[in-house]
Formats: sequence, C-alpha cells, structure tokens
Amino acid sequence: MSSAPRPYGSRAAALILLMLPVALYLLVFVYPLSSVVTLSVDNSALSGRFENLSALGTGAAPDDEAAALLADLGGMEKKQLGEVARMLNQQRSGFRSLIMSTGKEAEGITPTMAELVAFDDRWSEPGYWEIIRENAAPITWKHYQRALGITVAEDGSLSSGEDLYLQVMLRTLVITFQVTLLTLLVGYPLAYAAANASARVSTFVLAVVLLSFWTSVLVRTTAWVVLLQTNGLVNTVLVSLGLVAEPVQLIFNRFGALLAMTHVLLPFAILPMLNVMRTIPPSQADASRSLGAGPIETFLRVYFPQTLRGVAVGGGTVFILSLGFYVTPALTGGPEDQMLAWFIADFVNKTLNWGMAAALSVLLLVMVALLVAVAGLARWATARRKVEVA
Amino acid sequence: MSRVIFWSTVTFCTAFLALPLLLVWPLAFNTSSFLTYPLEGLTLDWFHQVLTQPTWVNAFLKSLKVALGAMMLALAIGGLAATGVILVPRVLQVVLTGLFLSPIVVPTVVVGVAFAYAFGRAGIGGGYFSLVLAHAVLGAPLVFLSVLTSLRGLDPNLDLAGASMGASRSYRFRTITLPLALPGFAAGAVFAFITSFDEVVVALFLADPGSTTLPIALFAGLRDRLQPSIVVVAVLLSAVSLLFLVLLRRLQMRVAAPKS
Repeated sequence: MSSAPRPYGSRAAALILLMLPVALYLLVFVYPLSSVVTLSVDNSALSGRFENLSALGTGAAPDDEAAALLADLGGMEKKQLGEVARMLNQQRSGFRSLIMSTGKEAEGITPTMAELVAFDDRWSEPGYWEIIRENAAPITWKHYQRALGITVAEDGSLSSGEDLYLQVMLRTLVITFQVTLLTLLVGYPLAYAAANASARVSTFVLAVVLLSFWTSVLVRTTAWVVLLQTNGLVNTVLVSLGLVAEPVQLIFNRFGALLAMTHVLLPFAILPMLNVMRTIPPSQADASRSLGAGPIETFLRVYFPQTLRGVAVGGGTVFILSLGFYVTPALTGGPEDQMLAWFIADFVNKTLNWGMAAALSVLLLVMVALLVAVAGLARWATARRKVEVA
Repeated sequence: MSRVIFWSTVTFCTAFLALPLLLVWPLAFNTSSFLTYPLEGLTLDWFHQVLTQPTWVNAFLKSLKVALGAMMLALAIGGLAATGVILVPRVLQVVLTGLFLSPIVVPTVVVGVAFAYAFGRAGIGGGYFSLVLAHAVLGAPLVFLSVLTSLRGLDPNLDLAGASMGASRSYRFRTITLPLALPGFAAGAVFAFITSFDEVVVALFLADPGSTTLPIALFAGLRDRLQPSIVVVAVLLSAVSLLFLVLLRRLQMRVAAPKS
C-alpha cells in the first residue's frame, strides 16, 4: 500500500503549504484569543503600582502597611494616580476620592496607621484595605467573582453577592432557547416544503431562503426596525384595521428582539434541515402508506425521526449563533433584553473595563465550547451506534 | 384538512421570511420621508442624497477596499490551508480542520474583543490594515471549506495520470488540480468578500473613526435616527448581496458541469 503513488503531493509539500496558514492562524487568531483569557485574570496594571505593598505580603503590621501604601501612592505621577483610582473605583465607589486625596498629600502624612486614619477615617474600614491588598497581587479573580456574583469574605469563605451578570447569562440562555425553538417551528415546514413540494413551490421557497441567507444581518434588522417603529407599517395596519386604538410598542422590548432574531437566524436552521430532508427518499412514505399507516402516522413514525439529525444541526447552529448575538438585540431589544454580548461591548466601549469584558468573553466562550463538545459527542455516539448496528 | 393546514403554515412561514424585506425596499423610493405606507409617490431623491453625501460614499469605498483586501488574504490563507490539509495523515487532518474552522464557531463579539486588544497592543491600531487582517481571519474558514470541498470532489486518478506521464508536482498542480478546483476558489472568494462587506461587530470594536465602513455607518444611523437614507443604504447592500448570490449560483453550476 505504501508503495502506491500518492496524488497531489508529498508530506514535504504539505508542510510548505501549511506553514503560512498555520503561522497566521496562531499569530492572528489563537494568540489574540488566548490573550483574552490572560486579560481576564491579569492585574499587573494595578499590582505593578503597589510594589511596596505587594513586597510586604500578608500578615504585615498595620503601620508597615500604611507606610508601604503611602510610599506607593506618593511615587505615582498624577496620571497614574487617576488611573489607579478609576480602576479601584470600579470595585467600590468612593475609592476615587479616597485615593486621589491621599495620593496628593502622601508625602505630608506621617507613615503610621493612626496618622493615615486621622487624615481620612475611611482608612479605618477593613473593606478598603481588603480591596487594595487583593489588587497588589499580579493575578486576580475579581472579574470572575463579579461576573458570577461571588463575594469573598475576609476569612476567605464564598457567598453570593450581586448577581447582575448571572441574571444576564440566564437571560441570554432563555432568549437563546426561545429563539432556537421559534426558528425550528417556523423553519421545519419551510424546509419540508423546499424538499418535498412540487418543483415550482420548492424553487420559490428555496429562493426566498437563500435571498434571506445572503442578505446581511444588519439589513434584515433594519427592515424590522422600520416595520415595527411606532409609526411603522405594522402599527399603521393594526390601527387602520381597528385592532388597536393607538400605536403599540412593538420594538425595543422582548417581542421585537425575539421577532427580529428569529427572522435573522431562520436560514441557519432551514438549510441543515433541508439537506437532511433531501436525502430521504419519497418512496419510504409510499411504502408506509401502502402498509396501512395514515399520513400523520407516516410522518411521525417514518419521516420525522429521520429528520432529527437535521433539526439538531440546525437548532445547534442557531443556538450557538444566538448565544453570542450582538447586532440584532442591540437594535431591536430594550435595556431589559440585552444579552451577554451587549455587556461585553459596553465594558469595552463605555467603561474601558477590559478585564470584565475579557472575563465575560471567556464565560461566553466556555458556554459555546461546551455546546460544541456536546454536539461532537453526539455525532461520535451516533456514528458508533451505526457501526454497531452494521 | 391536513393539506389546508400544511399550505397555510408554509404560506405564513414564507411570508414571514420574505415580506419584511419586500415591504421595506419600496420605502426607499417613497416621496415622503415617513417610512410607512401608503407610498405618496415615487422618487429617486433619497438615492441621489445618499450617493452624493461624502459620509456614505466614503464608507462605501472603505468597505469595498477592506472587503477586497480581506478577500485576497483569505483566499491565500484558506486556499493554502485546504491544498495542504488534503495531503496530511487523517488525525492531523481532523486537528487542522478544527483549527482552520475555529473562527466560525467563536462568537464575533469575543473575536472583536480579542482583536481590539491584541492589535492595540501590537500597535497595528484600528486602521485599514487591521480591518483587512481581522476580516481575512473571518473569511478564511469559508474559503478553506469551499476549496476543500472542490478538491475532495476531484478524481485523484487525473493527478496520477499526469504523474505517470512524467509531469512534475508543481506542473500537475498548475495544469490539472488548480484549473479543476478553480470554481471552489472563486466561490470561496465570493464568500470571503461578502463576509467582510457585511461584517459589523468586529469592525465596531476595531475601526477608528477614520475607517468607518458601510455597516458601521448603517449601525450608527439606525441607533441615531430612522430616515430614508438608511433604507436606501439597506437596499444598496441587498443589491450587492443579490449580485453575489447570482454569481455564486453560476459558479456552483460550473462546479457541477464538468462531471457530465
């Protein structure tokens, strides 16, 4: 077998061909992604500013800590001080003024704890010290703690705190489930029609699906924004039919977000289902009917089970796309309908909190990876079962 | 009875998919600036307005330049990856295919954060080059898939026949494999171009104010105020998509044709 000539080229040729793409992928895709993971636990921007304090380690005397803090704060330039104050303020409001005022006067304060408390009595609160000590370490879990709503008490025990981002994640999952279900419900009949109806109907349905698939997400979202606005077509029709007395709010709420997302993601559900349905020979249905099964029984027991693979692939695709969806919910949902992606973008664009953006990104990535792993496992299991049956 | 239910369901679902676009497009030609029916009259004024406004025209040209650059780069990366991957042992094939397809699975927001951070640190910034690079990474998996499919569909005996007659590897690749797989490359190029031309999320994270692409301008316009020019831009974008859909159909027919 090994003596048989191989078509196309040798292993050496493969090496040369693959060198450039693999290098580029590693450099331009894998490395940036891994840097997001590092970023989510990285605290060097803060810890590097507290050199004296981090050199002290844990369990130092209060006066030593006060001296180290004053040395650190006094050594910072004004711009650095502002940056440190901003970052600490993200964890506890009030930190900004405390750091700024102490930092400006750092050289004038006698380096003992008593004098520091005398300057600003907030320094007597252990909460502020806790946060500073935590941030003197180069690696931090604070972003994950905040994202998962976990608070660490002074003795190191964990308890649940503010769970805003857990709720966002839950909301993301709920919306994703709803959208997946809706796309499958609307998509299945369409895929069925495209696979089984007469040539004219199936061509027409397929043309509509492909047109939709190729029109950009943004354009299709635009269409929904135009249709659903307060003075838009849908409201005009509803009012003129007398169904509602005055225009109703159809957009910037959950309804608008679900409607637009379902529409935008529909082709991704239809195409895999269609591919599977095309492989099912129509003669099977005829055979089932000739053996006495009615049309409904034929569909449920012969046709539908065979299409489940397509349903799973289509549903899985929609689920993964929907989990990380940004554009459509941002434009058609209200503040209460924003998903994880929106908060990631918000952290990057508004508060410049890259650590939180990275931590939420990693959590989103983990959810997607779990799903892909489950899909892979399911594929492997069905393939094995087929081998065993054979 | 079940027939009636079936047809009404299919009609409803088709309408749901098609009507939003079909209803909104005519509004770009409406004389009134209110984006609703009934149409008051037909006009091309809004098109004129968009096509003479520097913001939209510049954004369009920027998108075109980025998409062309990204297409070229994606074509090179994806094409090399596909031609290389069919030569390696099976296990390595699975691993490399996973690597080359991974940008499709990772949510675009995460890709956006990663690029914005890594490019910012590497000093590439948010200009033209960074957009091309980012969009090329998003387009490369599609080129890879498309080329791989067309290479797998080739008869390996054609290559072996060339070899038996003494043709060198590179000569065989240039005269046999490449021409036969060309439709795959072309379809991949179309995919990559459209991906970049329509891409908004990563661009939103990366682009500095000087490199506003058409989708970014449209996104910003939608958040700002609904006006006819937005619908006009949507219609123009759809027209570009439609053009490429037709092009792709042609290419796919050419892929199917040589077998007969």
